[in-house]
Order: sequence, then C-alpha cells, then structure tokens
Amino acid sequence: MDWAGWALFGLVATTALTAALITAQLAGLTRVDFPLLLGTLVTEDPDRARIVGFFMHLCAGQGFALGYAATFALLDRATWWIGALLGALHVAIALTVLLPLLPGVHPRMASQRAGPASTAVLEPPGLFALNYGIPTPAVVGVVHVVYGVVLGVLLRAG
Amino acid sequence: MNGGSDRTGARLPAPISDYGLLGDTRTAALVAADGGIDWLCVPRFDGEPLFGRLVGGPDAGMFRVGPARPAPVVERRYRPHTATVETTWAVGDGRLTLTEAMVAEVRGRLLPTTLIVRRLSAEDATVEAVVEFDPRLGVRHRRPRVHRRRRALVCQWGSLAVSLGSTADLTVEPGRPAPLTVSPGRPVTLVLAVAHREPLVHVEPEAAWDLLVEDEERWRVWAAGIDEELPFRDHVVRSLLTMRLLTYSPSRAPVAAPTTSLPEDPGGMRNWDYRYVWPRDASIGVSAFLSVGKPDEARGFLAWLLHASRLQRPRLPALLTLYGRYVPRERELPGWPGYLGSVPVRVGNGAADQHQLDGYGWVIDAAWAFAQAGHLLHSETWRAVRGFADVVAGCWGEPDAGIWEVREPAQHVHSKLMGWLALDRALRIADTHPLPGRQRRRWREARDALATEVRTLGFDATMGSYVRSYGSAHLDAALLVLPLLEMDPDDSPRVRGTVDAVRDRLSAGGPLLYRYPPGVDGFPGGEGAFLPCSFWLVQALARTGRRAEAVELFRSMLDHASPLGLYAEEMDPATGAHLGNYPQTLTHAALVQAALAIRDAPTG
Repeated sequence: MDWAGWALFGLVATTALTAALITAQLAGLTRVDFPLLLGTLVTEDPDRARIVGFFMHLCAGQGFALGYAATFALLDRATWWIGALLGALHVAIALTVLLPLLPGVHPRMASQRAGPASTAVLEPPGLFALNYGIPTPAVVGVVHVVYGVVLGVLLRAG
Repeated sequence: MNGGSDRTGARLPAPISDYGLLGDTRTAALVAADGGIDWLCVPRFDGEPLFGRLVGGPDAGMFRVGPARPAPVVERRYRPHTATVETTWAVGDGRLTLTEAMVAEVRGRLLPTTLIVRRLSAEDATVEAVVEFDPRLGVRHRRPRVHRRRRALVCQWGSLAVSLGSTADLTVEPGRPAPLTVSPGRPVTLVLAVAHREPLVHVEPEAAWDLLVEDEERWRVWAAGIDEELPFRDHVVRSLLTMRLLTYSPSRAPVAAPTTSLPEDPGGMRNWDYRYVWPRDASIGVSAFLSVGKPDEARGFLAWLLHASRLQRPRLPALLTLYGRYVPRERELPGWPGYLGSVPVRVGNGAADQHQLDGYGWVIDAAWAFAQAGHLLHSETWRAVRGFADVVAGCWGEPDAGIWEVREPAQHVHSKLMGWLALDRALRIADTHPLPGRQRRRWREARDALATEVRTLGFDATMGSYVRSYGSAHLDAALLVLPLLEMDPDDSPRVRGTVDAVRDRLSAGGPLLYRYPPGVDGFPGGEGAFLPCSFWLVQALARTGRRAEAVELFRSMLDHASPLGLYAEEMDPATGAHLGNYPQTLTHAALVQAALAIRDAPTG
C-alpha cells in the first residue's frame, strides 16, 4: 500500500473530478453540485456551503481514494483501465444508491414526498440524479471515470 | 350542475367552473359537482393522466362517487381555509354529502405519496349512492391488471399501482358502477392510494380520514399566518391556498395550471399544455407571498427560479418543467376528443424556446422585492441577477415573443417596459450589493436608452397611450403594469392615458378585458376575456389614486369566480363561462396583487 501516493494522488484525482464537474456545469450540462450538496448539510448559505462542501468533498475524495488504493494493492497492480472500471463501479453506486438515499438524511433537501410543511430548499436528485438535468448521469459517470483513471495512472507511476 | 350525458349515455365533462381543485402540492385532481374526478395525473402534475375524461373522452377514465341518480347540488364549498371540498346533494327525503381531499403531508410516515380520501355521509334518510371507478393510464388509456388484496381493489400498470379501499362492503370493478347505500350516522369512506416505483402502502379508510382531518388543521394554521388586515381576506386566502396547492413541494415550482388543453376557444384549436412552470408566475408569487407574510413560500419560489434556470443561464427560459428541465416538444394526442370537441389535445409546449424579454423584468423585480423586504441576496443569487441584467442590457433592442407568446416576434412595448424594469431594479439592488462601475454604467446607459426609445416609438400621442408594439395602433392590457414600474410618475398623462385607453378600448363588458384586440394574434378562432388583466386594472387603478373604482371593479371580479372561488385563465364575456386551463396560478396571483394594491392605496 502506497500511503504517500494515496495522500497526494487522492487530492489530485479529486481536484480533477471537481474541475471536470465545474466545466460541465458551466457548459450547462448539469446542475449537480457536490460541494453544495455536501455543504448544505451544515449551513443554509449556499456560498458558505460551497466552501465547507468543497473541503468535505476533498475529504470524501481522499476516503474513496483509500478504497481505490487498497483495491490496487489487493490486485497488486494499478492501471488506468482498472481505475476506470473502479470509477464506473463507484458512480453506479453513487447514482443508484447514495444520491437517491440523500433526501432521507439531508436536512435541507426535499424528497419526492415533500408536502407543504417542508421548508427544504434543495430539490431531490431522483433516480440517476436525472432531476439535475438529463445529461447528469453521463456527466457524473465521466468525471468519476476520470477520477479512477487519474488514480490508476498516478499510483502505477508511484 | 354537471355536463350531462351523450347519446351513448356516457357522462360528459362539466362546465369548467363546475370543477373543484383537490391537491397535495405534488399533483392535483379536478372534481365535478356530480362527484366525478375527471382529471388526475400521477405521480406529479406533469405525469400521465390516470383519470383523463376531462379532455380524453369516456375512454380516458374517471372516478365518480355520488348519488346513484342525478340530484341537485344544494351546497358546495371548500371547508373554510382548507383544501377539502364538500358537496351536498338533495336526494329524495335525504341529503348526501361528499367530503374529499388529498393528503398533502405524508413525509416522515409510512403513507403513499398520493392519497385521496372521499367520504359519503347521509342526513335525514338513507340514500342510494354509486361508485364508478375506471382508471386508465396515459395517452392510450391503458386498462390495468386487476386483483384484490384484502378488502382493497388493486390496479397495476408496470411500475404504477393504485389501490381503492373502502369501509363499506363494496365490490368495485373498474368501469362498472358499484351501488351502495349510505345511512345517517354510518358514513362510507373510500381511499385511493397511488404508488409509483415503490410498493403500495395500504391505508385503512378510517385512518385516512384522520389524516385528512390533520391536514385540514395544518391548512388552517397556514392560513392563519396570512396578514389579518388584508381586504377581501377570504378570497385572497383561497387564491393563496390555490397557488400553494399548485406549487410542487419537492422543487417549489409553481405550475401554471394542473391541466392541458382546456380550450380558450371551445371547439377551436387554442388548447395548450400548462402543466409547466413560467418564471413569470414564480416571480409574481414571490412578491405576493412576501406581502402577505409568507416569506418561506417566497424564498422557495426564488430558490426554484435560481436553481431551475441554472442550465441555461444567463438566458432565462420562457418556461421549464417542475425540475427545471427543458419542456418536452409540443405534440398532439391522436384520438383524444378534447373538451367539448376542442382539438387537438396537446402535451409539451412550443413556447419553451421563445425569447421573452419581459421574463427578465419579472424575475429581477422579484429579487428586488425580496431584498427590499430585508432579506439578503446570497452572492449566487446576485450573480444570477447580474447575468440576467447583462442579457437585457445586450438584447433589449431585439424583437421578442412577448408575454402573450405570439409565434411571430415583434417589438413589444410591454417587453421593453419590463426590460426597463429589469435594469432599473438591478441598479437598485446594486445600491446595497457589490457591482463593478463599468457594469453599473452599462446598465444605466441601457436603461436610459430603453426609456427614450419606448417613449418615442411605443407611445401614440393621438391616443395618449402606449401601444402594443412599435408603430401599432393596437393596445395591450399587459401595459396595465405601467404604474408599478415607476418609469413615469403615477399621475402622469402617459400612465393615466394608457390605463384609461386600455380600460376603454379593450373592454369585454363589465369588469372584463381582452388582453389585445381579438383576432390579431395569428391563430384561428377567437378567445375570451383574459382574467388576470382585470386584476391588473384593479391594481393600476389603486396605484393611480382611484381606490374606490378599484374596489368596485374587484368586487365585480369576485362575482365572476367559480362557485368554489377559483378562476381559469379566460372567460367568455357573453356567457360568463370560464375558458382555458383551470385553475390558473397567474389569475390567482393577480387577484392577490390587486388586493394588496387596494390595501396599500390611500383611502379617501
């Protein structure tokens, strides 16, 4: 297990993922915004939420990178395509399990069952996060594959 | 009164104003005075119709609970400050009452997302009643697979399932009337539960009734939070409650109306799908809810506007889906006979791609109203507003489709005025929010140039009024917003002249106004008077110091409401029949704003 590699490359991969996601947002492809979704767990102010959420996102990225690094260590090899496969698995779980479950725990996210008493302001992502724009599953898929590829390449070189 | 039957004995849809709105803030049903639910889309406002007889004909399904034979309605009302409709018929020596509502608050409990509760109770004598349950899903009126589970009837179509339970020993089969007897002191409760992509949750009818009662109390508490000093308060509360019922709670999107293709011209082709969200409606809602003491609703609308418009920013789309997606392409439903033969029945909306300059004015004015009420605009909100103002500063000279969504763009004066409003209010917000000097100068120059141009090209000195578009001899009732802008003083000849000219030349008789001279919009057929315009006239009169006239006109408009206090988009001036999609958020928002203008106008 390459601990130094994990610490550094996890940061690089998360940064690459975030940059790719912001690019997609600016291109009008999706409204998904992981820093905002995470940051609004702790604050209502979207500007502060993005800052707090950015660091939470970095931490989450490090956590997932640990899983990737452990998988590479188990397989005794790190390649770009194994990274891509792990990224695909990662996004499949995120879109089908993590995001749809988020309204159940997020204090500021409405659910599909929200009623008039709901004061939540974030709309629920829905299945495959399609509520944030039709291209969202594709965008989120691509950025996670990028994340896996970056980790695969860097950990192999490391 | 209902729509009667056709030659085959099939029940016809009722007059539009005969319908009551049942809603849970996720979807809505329209129920006629004979107890027939003729419209319900699931699981959302813009979902597939489960009961679509309103515009889909007898094969499109309905759910009627009421007297076994035609009987006169002796009373019909919303229970005060709730969303529960109560209809009472005189049947023989007795009376039969149907009390019904959808359960809005289901979060945090094991309940179906859509739950309709209907209770029949009898007074004075035992009454023969009937249940007609005929659910058909979607464009092709698909019949369900049917089976029974305990005492409930379960209908399934793939990922959608519906169950109908009852306290009575009823054997309901889809499409076949099921007779029942209702005795005094022994009410019968029916519960319709809908599950979409989730397991059905069966709710015992008595427990469902308790949920309805709880919901009623929640609505009463909600209504109690509305400003006590409002004039015509009960009517305003009904309008606000209708607007809230038409707001999709998961995203806070206010849907324009819960229906598609109710005709503006019965028998004609002016049939549009309104199950989408116009940023204009959300913006008017922001200031309406803010002004009556409901900041949470206002904040919700603003949040939706910002979030939904993000994919296309800085361009502001003319309309969006409930989740801010692109509105589906407009298409016609083959085989759907339409309401009173008004075809085609359409889904999707072709206005989605239009450039409508006025939308920017509404939205930025809403942000200004929010800031003026002491609420801080987050920097993201301010960034969005700046982007919108930049668009206006760059494109205000281009022709647009305007508020009436005509399909041939023109230099609409109302759009220009709203462009001016956008820049003016953005500059006012900039007084308390950071803005680079260069951007401020650009906005100011554009605003001043716009004012000069519209005063020169958009004003007809002979008529003493602003006109519909540059060089046009026609008027436009949307110009009644002029006094709200503060571009020209309220007592200026331009403002008063425009208000008087619109009132005079676009009058459809009584308090009713056409939005523009009939027959000049390029569509075949005619249309009715446009109801929001009458409320805008009330507002304009109140703002220009003519409060007494405003009050008189407002009272007259209240007489034109449906028996349950609801309004469609338009009205036939000759017959008083409501026309167009129903009930209409814009009309109810305009009613609230008119009442607020009366409240704020100096008396005497």
